[in-house]
Amino acid sequence: MTAKHVFKLWMIRLCGVATLAVTPALDITPAFAHGERSQEPFLRMRTVNWYDTEWVGKSTKINDVTELRGKFHLSEDWPRAVVKPTRTFINVGSPSSVFVRLSSKVNGTPMFVSGPMEIGRDYEYVVKLKARLPGHHHIHPMFAVKEAGPIAGPGGWMDITGRYEDFTNPIKTLTNETFDSETMGSMTGIGWHIWWIALGIFWVGFFAIRPMYLIRARVLAAYGDEILLDPIDRKVGVAVLVLTLTVVVVGYMAAEAKHPISVPLQAGEAKIKPMPIKPNPLTVDVIHAEYDVPGRALRMTLHATNNGTQPVTIGEFTTAGIRFTNKFGASRVDPNYPAELVASAGLTMDNEAPIQPGQTVDIKVESKDVLWEVQRLVDILHDPDQRFAGLFLSWTDSGERLINPVWAPVLPVFTRLGA
Amino acid sequence: MFRTDEIIKASKLPPEGVAMSRKIDYIYFIPILFVTIVGTFHMHTALLCGDWDFWLDWKDRQWWPIVTPVTLITFCAAIQYYNWVNYRQPFGATLCILALGAGKWIAVYTSWWWWSNYPPNFVMPATAIPGALVLDITLLLTRNWTLTAVIGAWMFAALFYPSNWPIFAYSHTPLVVDGALLSWADYMGFMYVRTGTPEYIRMIEVGSLRTFGGHSTMISAFFSAFASSLTYILWWQFGKFFCTSYFYITDDRQRTTKVYDVFAYATLGPQADKAKLSGGKA
Repeated sequence: MTAKHVFKLWMIRLCGVATLAVTPALDITPAFAHGERSQEPFLRMRTVNWYDTEWVGKSTKINDVTELRGKFHLSEDWPRAVVKPTRTFINVGSPSSVFVRLSSKVNGTPMFVSGPMEIGRDYEYVVKLKARLPGHHHIHPMFAVKEAGPIAGPGGWMDITGRYEDFTNPIKTLTNETFDSETMGSMTGIGWHIWWIALGIFWVGFFAIRPMYLIRARVLAAYGDEILLDPIDRKVGVAVLVLTLTVVVVGYMAAEAKHPISVPLQAGEAKIKPMPIKPNPLTVDVIHAEYDVPGRALRMTLHATNNGTQPVTIGEFTTAGIRFTNKFGASRVDPNYPAELVASAGLTMDNEAPIQPGQTVDIKVESKDVLWEVQRLVDILHDPDQRFAGLFLSWTDSGERLINPVWAPVLPVFTRLGA
Repeated sequence: MFRTDEIIKASKLPPEGVAMSRKIDYIYFIPILFVTIVGTFHMHTALLCGDWDFWLDWKDRQWWPIVTPVTLITFCAAIQYYNWVNYRQPFGATLCILALGAGKWIAVYTSWWWWSNYPPNFVMPATAIPGALVLDITLLLTRNWTLTAVIGAWMFAALFYPSNWPIFAYSHTPLVVDGALLSWADYMGFMYVRTGTPEYIRMIEVGSLRTFGGHSTMISAFFSAFASSLTYILWWQFGKFFCTSYFYITDDRQRTTKVYDVFAYATLGPQADKAKLSGGKA
């Protein structure tokens, strides 16, 4: 090796050490999100359209129970690139198990195991959560699709106050025992591990207290193994063998006696019926859509018909958990909904007037806000399938809310480039 | 009590050589061999049967008793070869499983508890030490690796489920939540949220080993024993491959010979000037 090679090697090593040394000096802050913005726009906009999401109780004490609930619509425009939702699971996106999930119901049916859901239908979920770890946590509902992965819903902040040391989670079993999920089985398991590790160390140690490698290799090469096979090794081996088998059998029988009633792991399938289809007097179709890349705006031309008996006013367009509202819709947004996900003046229309009964109108709508950029939805330009989907929310004069799923191809435009 | 003196005498090492060999034993055994096995075997296990070993709600009757022993017997067989064939030391399997256990328990407290806040009971690893002891003792008593593959490897797998039952039996206690029957393990898996691991990821209770009136565990254990036996043979041969050194030598008459005795390399030194050494494996 030349001096040049030695120098290069040492330089590389020094760079490595310097990098490690500098790292702690940098500004290191905890990561609060779960990478939801790095999911591709078509995945977030055209699979699950979330609405009515509620993070009940923004602040919860340790051991108190709160809820994450809401509704979602599985888009009719489900992308070809994503596996269909034949096996799905409603999950919670949280930084570790800061809450323990006591129950999860979808349309009133418990969802402990996964199951199929139908495209084009709506579901309502209620997840009961018990506060476990104190802190300021970013919590998402998640819709996991087998072979497609988890699809994150909107994220909201939930605080947990108190001390973890006070957390308990006792649960009664069918055999009338009470198990605490934090501790049940720990000491028994650790005890058994300690016992077996001790016996294993004894076995290895029994040979380690004598010359182990070099001397034995020389003797083996010179004389074969007759000298090396000490008769006491065989005797101790038989004793350890008998002891091991005895402990296994006795341990098994004792465990059977202690837990005589057992069931296998449950690997069934949740059978969940979608919410009934609600009659909707309003029909909305997108006849043209374009995305203004530098203007951060999605422009649509809607063809809407009101077949009902009351005037209908459009107030909101929502997609990927982001809500674009006009003044009318803004007044109907839950004030607890995360402000960072609402563009309260982000929806404009060329005709804000209510759609009268029997009227058919073409409306030019623009949903415009920096949220398209912040939420990284502008990447729609790089999607393999240039389409979007979402929900239009409108209200009748009597206050009834109507939900219209929309979807369409979207064309990019570059206004500044063309100007 | 031991034949140590006789063995030392037969080694023909001077006293300072004996003392040095013991120092080498300690340096080699703990910081090198044990730690290397911890790192490599732990990673191998995490990749091949990780979820079954990490999570309480993956420890089912079908896949867990098959996947885990078949994965674990690999390194045991290879390290057994190394320790037995070169030194007649019958603790290769136990050493492997102890090293794996060290890695697992470090992970339970650092990765799962301190970092991810999952309670130890939810990520309690299984034990394979009883099986490893039986595997080692079978090799010691039979002095025959084929018999060890047939008897020891079968026992290694067959003992896995009963030796872990005292640790995990409680987790199969039934309970009812929202009108649904669950085992305690199922409910633990449900309660402790894993954002990236939805329920359908579990590979449990799927497969066709379902005859004999639903005694899935027995059938799985027998299949596991059979598969472990074959895996043992394969990995014993891996051990042999990686523990065998040889080189080729081509003499003046252009005859190439494969020489296994690496000590002969030094003996052939003067001759090697003339002969052409043409490759080999250290």
